[in-house]
Amino acid sequence: MTSRRIVSTEKTVLDKDDMSSRGPPGPAPPDILPGSIPQISKSVISKLLAYTIAMIVAPLSAYYLTLNHIYNGNNTFAGATAAVVANIVLIAYVIEALREDDADNKEGKKNR
Amino acid sequence: MSEITEWQPVYAPFLGFSGIAAAMIFSSVGAAYGTAKAGISIAGVGTFKPELIMKSLISVIMAGIIAVYGLVIAVLIAGDMSPEKEYTLFAGIMHLAAGLSVGLAGAAAGYAIGTVGNAGARAFLQQPKVFVGKVLILIFAEVLGLYGLIVALILNTRKA
Repeated sequence: MTSRRIVSTEKTVLDKDDMSSRGPPGPAPPDILPGSIPQISKSVISKLLAYTIAMIVAPLSAYYLTLNHIYNGNNTFAGATAAVVANIVLIAYVIEALREDDADNKEGKKNR
Repeated sequence: MSEITEWQPVYAPFLGFSGIAAAMIFSSVGAAYGTAKAGISIAGVGTFKPELIMKSLISVIMAGIIAVYGLVIAVLIAGDMSPEKEYTLFAGIMHLAAGLSVGLAGAAAGYAIGTVGNAGARAFLQQPKVFVGKVLILIFAEVLGLYGLIVALILNTRKA
Protein backbone atom coordinates (compact mmCIF):
# COMPACT_ATOMS: atom_id res chain seq x y z
CA MET A 1 0.00 0.00 0.00
CA THR A 2 2.98 2.29 0.38
CA SER A 3 3.13 2.77 -3.36
CA ARG A 4 -0.48 3.91 -3.34
CA ARG A 5 0.25 6.98 -1.26
CA ILE A 6 2.37 8.59 -3.94
CA VAL A 7 -0.37 8.37 -6.55
CA SER A 8 -2.93 11.10 -6.17
CA THR A 9 -6.48 9.84 -5.92
CA GLU A 10 -7.75 12.52 -8.24
CA LYS A 11 -7.80 11.30 -11.81
CA THR A 12 -5.98 13.49 -14.29
CA VAL A 13 -6.86 13.64 -17.95
CA LEU A 14 -4.03 11.22 -18.65
CA ASP A 15 -5.53 8.53 -16.43
CA LYS A 16 -8.79 8.47 -18.29
CA ASP A 17 -8.35 5.98 -21.07
CA ASP A 18 -11.82 5.98 -22.56
CA MET A 19 -12.79 8.73 -24.95
CA SER A 20 -16.36 9.13 -23.65
CA SER A 21 -15.31 10.55 -20.29
CA ARG A 22 -13.50 13.49 -21.81
CA GLY A 23 -16.67 15.42 -22.48
CA PRO A 24 -17.79 16.93 -25.75
CA PRO A 25 -14.97 17.28 -28.24
CA GLY A 26 -14.01 20.90 -28.68
CA PRO A 27 -12.67 22.40 -31.88
CA ALA A 28 -9.61 20.59 -33.11
CA PRO A 29 -6.26 22.33 -32.54
CA PRO A 30 -5.24 24.28 -35.61
CA ASP A 31 -2.24 22.10 -36.48
CA ILE A 32 -4.12 18.78 -36.20
CA LEU A 33 -7.03 19.11 -38.59
CA PRO A 34 -9.09 15.95 -39.02
CA GLY A 35 -7.86 13.91 -41.94
CA SER A 36 -4.59 15.80 -42.29
CA ILE A 37 -1.31 13.96 -42.12
CA PRO A 38 0.75 15.10 -39.12
CA GLN A 39 3.96 16.84 -39.99
CA ILE A 40 6.81 14.59 -38.90
CA SER A 41 10.23 15.78 -39.94
CA LYS A 42 12.39 13.45 -41.97
CA SER A 43 15.22 13.62 -39.45
CA VAL A 44 13.02 12.18 -36.69
CA ILE A 45 11.81 9.33 -38.89
CA SER A 46 15.33 8.48 -40.04
CA LYS A 47 16.54 8.60 -36.44
CA LEU A 48 13.82 6.28 -35.21
CA LEU A 49 14.36 3.91 -38.13
CA ALA A 50 18.10 3.87 -37.49
CA TYR A 51 17.65 3.04 -33.81
CA THR A 52 15.02 0.39 -34.53
CA ILE A 53 17.29 -1.35 -37.02
CA ALA A 54 20.30 -0.94 -34.72
CA MET A 55 18.38 -2.48 -31.81
CA ILE A 56 17.52 -5.55 -33.87
CA VAL A 57 20.62 -6.02 -36.00
CA ALA A 58 23.52 -4.77 -33.87
CA PRO A 59 23.48 -7.29 -30.97
CA LEU A 60 22.84 -10.32 -33.19
CA SER A 61 25.46 -9.35 -35.76
CA ALA A 62 27.93 -8.58 -32.96
CA TYR A 63 27.35 -12.07 -31.57
CA TYR A 64 27.85 -13.93 -34.84
CA LEU A 65 30.70 -11.71 -36.13
CA THR A 66 32.80 -11.95 -32.96
CA LEU A 67 31.98 -15.63 -32.33
CA ASN A 68 34.30 -17.10 -34.95
CA HIS A 69 36.50 -14.19 -35.97
CA ILE A 70 37.58 -12.72 -32.63
CA TYR A 71 36.81 -15.20 -29.85
CA ASN A 72 37.41 -18.43 -31.83
CA GLY A 73 34.10 -20.05 -30.96
CA ASN A 74 33.97 -18.97 -27.31
CA ASN A 75 30.30 -18.10 -27.23
CA THR A 76 30.37 -16.75 -23.67
CA PHE A 77 32.48 -13.75 -24.71
CA ALA A 78 30.45 -13.37 -27.88
CA GLY A 79 27.24 -13.29 -25.81
CA ALA A 80 28.71 -10.69 -23.46
CA THR A 81 29.75 -8.62 -26.50
CA ALA A 82 26.18 -8.75 -27.82
CA ALA A 83 24.85 -7.48 -24.46
CA VAL A 84 27.43 -4.68 -24.41
CA VAL A 85 26.52 -3.65 -27.97
CA ALA A 86 22.83 -3.52 -27.02
CA ASN A 87 23.70 -1.20 -24.13
CA ILE A 88 25.84 0.98 -26.42
CA VAL A 89 22.77 1.48 -28.64
CA LEU A 90 20.80 2.46 -25.54
CA ILE A 91 23.44 4.96 -24.37
CA ALA A 92 23.59 6.44 -27.87
CA TYR A 93 19.82 6.89 -27.77
CA VAL A 94 19.91 8.60 -24.37
CA ILE A 95 22.61 11.00 -25.61
CA GLU A 96 20.60 11.65 -28.77
CA ALA A 97 17.47 12.42 -26.75
CA LEU A 98 19.39 14.85 -24.51
CA ARG A 99 20.97 16.59 -27.51
CA GLU A 100 17.60 16.97 -29.23
CA ASP A 101 16.23 18.62 -26.09
CA ASP A 102 19.11 21.12 -26.06
CA ALA A 103 18.51 21.92 -29.73
CA ASP A 104 14.80 22.45 -29.03
CA ASN A 105 15.59 24.82 -26.18
CA LYS A 106 17.90 26.91 -28.36
CA GLU A 107 15.34 27.11 -31.16
CA GLY A 108 12.59 28.04 -28.70
CA LYS A 109 14.68 30.87 -27.27
CA LYS A 110 15.45 32.17 -30.76
CA ASN A 111 11.76 32.17 -31.65
CA ARG A 112 10.90 34.13 -28.54
CA MET B 1 24.82 -41.43 -30.65
CA SER B 2 26.01 -41.93 -27.11
CA GLU B 3 24.72 -44.58 -24.75
CA ILE B 4 21.91 -43.79 -22.32
CA THR B 5 23.20 -44.00 -18.76
CA GLU B 6 22.24 -42.56 -15.42
CA TRP B 7 24.67 -39.70 -16.13
CA GLN B 8 23.18 -39.14 -19.59
CA PRO B 9 19.46 -39.88 -19.27
CA VAL B 10 16.98 -39.50 -22.13
CA TYR B 11 15.27 -36.58 -20.43
CA ALA B 12 18.42 -34.45 -20.07
CA PRO B 13 17.79 -32.56 -23.37
CA PHE B 14 14.28 -31.79 -22.13
CA LEU B 15 15.75 -29.77 -19.27
CA GLY B 16 18.13 -27.99 -21.64
CA PHE B 17 15.38 -27.04 -24.08
CA SER B 18 13.24 -25.91 -21.14
CA GLY B 19 16.09 -23.53 -20.32
CA ILE B 20 16.03 -22.10 -23.86
CA ALA B 21 12.28 -21.62 -23.71
CA ALA B 22 12.39 -20.09 -20.22
CA ALA B 23 15.11 -17.62 -21.26
CA MET B 24 13.12 -16.35 -24.22
CA ILE B 25 9.58 -16.54 -22.81
CA PHE B 26 10.09 -14.95 -19.41
CA SER B 27 12.38 -12.17 -20.63
CA SER B 28 9.86 -11.41 -23.39
CA VAL B 29 7.08 -11.31 -20.79
CA GLY B 30 9.08 -8.72 -18.86
CA ALA B 31 9.93 -6.73 -21.98
CA ALA B 32 6.30 -6.80 -23.15
CA TYR B 33 5.02 -5.59 -19.80
CA GLY B 34 7.63 -2.81 -19.72
CA THR B 35 6.86 -1.72 -23.29
CA ALA B 36 3.09 -1.79 -22.80
CA LYS B 37 3.05 -0.02 -19.44
CA ALA B 38 5.49 2.67 -20.59
CA GLY B 39 3.75 2.97 -23.96
CA ILE B 40 0.41 3.83 -22.35
CA SER B 41 1.87 6.86 -20.60
CA ILE B 42 3.94 7.88 -23.65
CA ALA B 43 0.75 7.98 -25.70
CA GLY B 44 -0.86 10.10 -22.99
CA VAL B 45 2.09 12.47 -22.68
CA GLY B 46 2.53 12.71 -26.45
CA THR B 47 -0.94 14.19 -26.90
CA PHE B 48 0.02 17.13 -24.69
CA LYS B 49 3.70 17.64 -25.47
CA PRO B 50 4.81 15.73 -28.59
CA GLU B 51 8.39 16.97 -28.14
CA LEU B 52 8.72 14.80 -25.01
CA ILE B 53 8.10 11.55 -26.90
CA MET B 54 11.75 11.11 -27.83
CA LYS B 55 12.85 11.32 -24.21
CA SER B 56 10.01 9.17 -22.90
CA LEU B 57 10.86 6.40 -25.35
CA ILE B 58 14.00 5.57 -23.34
CA SER B 59 12.01 3.23 -21.11
CA VAL B 60 10.73 1.36 -24.17
CA ILE B 61 14.28 0.94 -25.49
CA MET B 62 15.39 -0.37 -22.09
CA ALA B 63 12.54 -2.87 -22.08
CA GLY B 64 13.68 -3.99 -25.52
CA ILE B 65 17.16 -4.67 -24.22
CA ILE B 66 15.70 -7.10 -21.65
CA ALA B 67 14.47 -9.22 -24.54
CA VAL B 68 17.92 -9.02 -26.16
CA TYR B 69 19.44 -10.50 -22.99
CA GLY B 70 17.03 -13.44 -23.16
CA LEU B 71 17.74 -13.84 -26.87
CA VAL B 72 21.51 -13.95 -26.30
CA ILE B 73 21.21 -16.72 -23.71
CA ALA B 74 18.68 -18.65 -25.80
CA VAL B 75 21.01 -18.55 -28.82
CA LEU B 76 23.95 -19.51 -26.59
CA ILE B 77 22.23 -22.55 -25.11
CA ALA B 78 20.80 -23.59 -28.47
CA GLY B 79 24.34 -23.67 -29.83
CA ASP B 80 25.22 -26.42 -27.33
CA MET B 81 22.30 -28.65 -28.26
CA SER B 82 22.90 -31.34 -30.85
CA PRO B 83 21.38 -34.79 -31.36
CA GLU B 84 24.81 -36.27 -32.14
CA LYS B 85 26.70 -34.90 -29.14
CA GLU B 86 26.49 -36.49 -25.72
CA TYR B 87 24.35 -34.44 -23.36
CA THR B 88 24.68 -35.02 -19.63
CA LEU B 89 22.15 -34.44 -16.91
CA PHE B 90 24.54 -31.84 -15.48
CA ALA B 91 24.49 -29.87 -18.72
CA GLY B 92 20.69 -30.08 -18.89
CA ILE B 93 20.11 -28.73 -15.41
CA MET B 94 22.81 -26.11 -15.92
CA HIS B 95 21.09 -24.86 -19.06
CA LEU B 96 17.76 -24.81 -17.25
CA ALA B 97 19.31 -22.72 -14.47
CA ALA B 98 20.86 -20.34 -16.99
CA GLY B 99 17.57 -19.89 -18.82
CA LEU B 100 15.56 -19.40 -15.67
CA SER B 101 18.00 -16.89 -14.18
CA VAL B 102 18.05 -14.65 -17.26
CA GLY B 103 14.34 -15.15 -17.91
CA LEU B 104 12.95 -14.44 -14.46
CA ALA B 105 15.47 -11.66 -13.77
CA GLY B 106 14.35 -10.16 -17.08
CA ALA B 107 10.69 -10.44 -16.07
CA ALA B 108 11.48 -8.64 -12.81
CA ALA B 109 13.45 -5.93 -14.59
CA GLY B 110 10.71 -5.48 -17.19
CA TYR B 111 8.10 -5.08 -14.48
CA ALA B 112 10.22 -2.41 -12.78
CA ILE B 113 10.90 -0.61 -16.07
CA GLY B 114 7.22 -0.59 -16.95
CA THR B 115 6.12 0.82 -13.62
CA VAL B 116 8.89 3.43 -13.48
CA GLY B 117 8.47 4.35 -17.14
CA ASN B 118 4.73 4.82 -16.65
CA ALA B 119 4.98 7.04 -13.59
CA GLY B 120 8.16 8.76 -14.82
CA ALA B 121 6.71 9.90 -18.15
CA ARG B 122 3.62 11.35 -16.43
CA ALA B 123 5.79 13.16 -13.88
CA PHE B 124 8.11 14.36 -16.65
CA LEU B 125 5.17 16.12 -18.29
CA GLN B 126 4.79 18.38 -15.27
CA GLN B 127 8.37 18.65 -14.03
CA PRO B 128 11.27 18.32 -16.53
CA LYS B 129 13.82 17.95 -13.72
CA VAL B 130 12.46 14.46 -13.07
CA PHE B 131 14.24 13.23 -16.21
CA VAL B 132 17.69 12.55 -14.71
CA GLY B 133 16.21 10.73 -11.73
CA LYS B 134 13.91 8.75 -14.00
CA VAL B 135 16.79 7.62 -16.21
CA LEU B 136 18.84 6.65 -13.13
CA ILE B 137 16.01 4.55 -11.71
CA LEU B 138 15.49 2.97 -15.12
CA ILE B 139 19.19 2.09 -15.29
CA PHE B 140 19.00 0.44 -11.87
CA ALA B 141 15.98 -1.55 -13.04
CA GLU B 142 17.80 -2.49 -16.23
CA VAL B 143 20.81 -3.71 -14.24
CA LEU B 144 18.59 -6.34 -12.57
CA GLY B 145 18.22 -8.01 -15.94
CA LEU B 146 21.94 -7.62 -16.57
CA TYR B 147 22.70 -9.52 -13.36
CA GLY B 148 20.57 -12.40 -14.61
CA LEU B 149 22.49 -12.33 -17.90
CA ILE B 150 25.88 -12.37 -16.13
CA VAL B 151 24.87 -15.32 -13.95
CA ALA B 152 23.57 -17.17 -17.00
CA LEU B 153 26.82 -16.51 -18.90
CA ILE B 154 28.89 -17.76 -15.95
CA LEU B 155 26.69 -20.84 -15.60
CA ASN B 156 27.20 -21.57 -19.27
CA THR B 157 30.99 -21.74 -18.83
CA ARG B 158 30.60 -24.60 -16.31
CA LYS B 159 30.20 -27.14 -19.07
CA ALA B 160 31.24 -30.65 -18.06
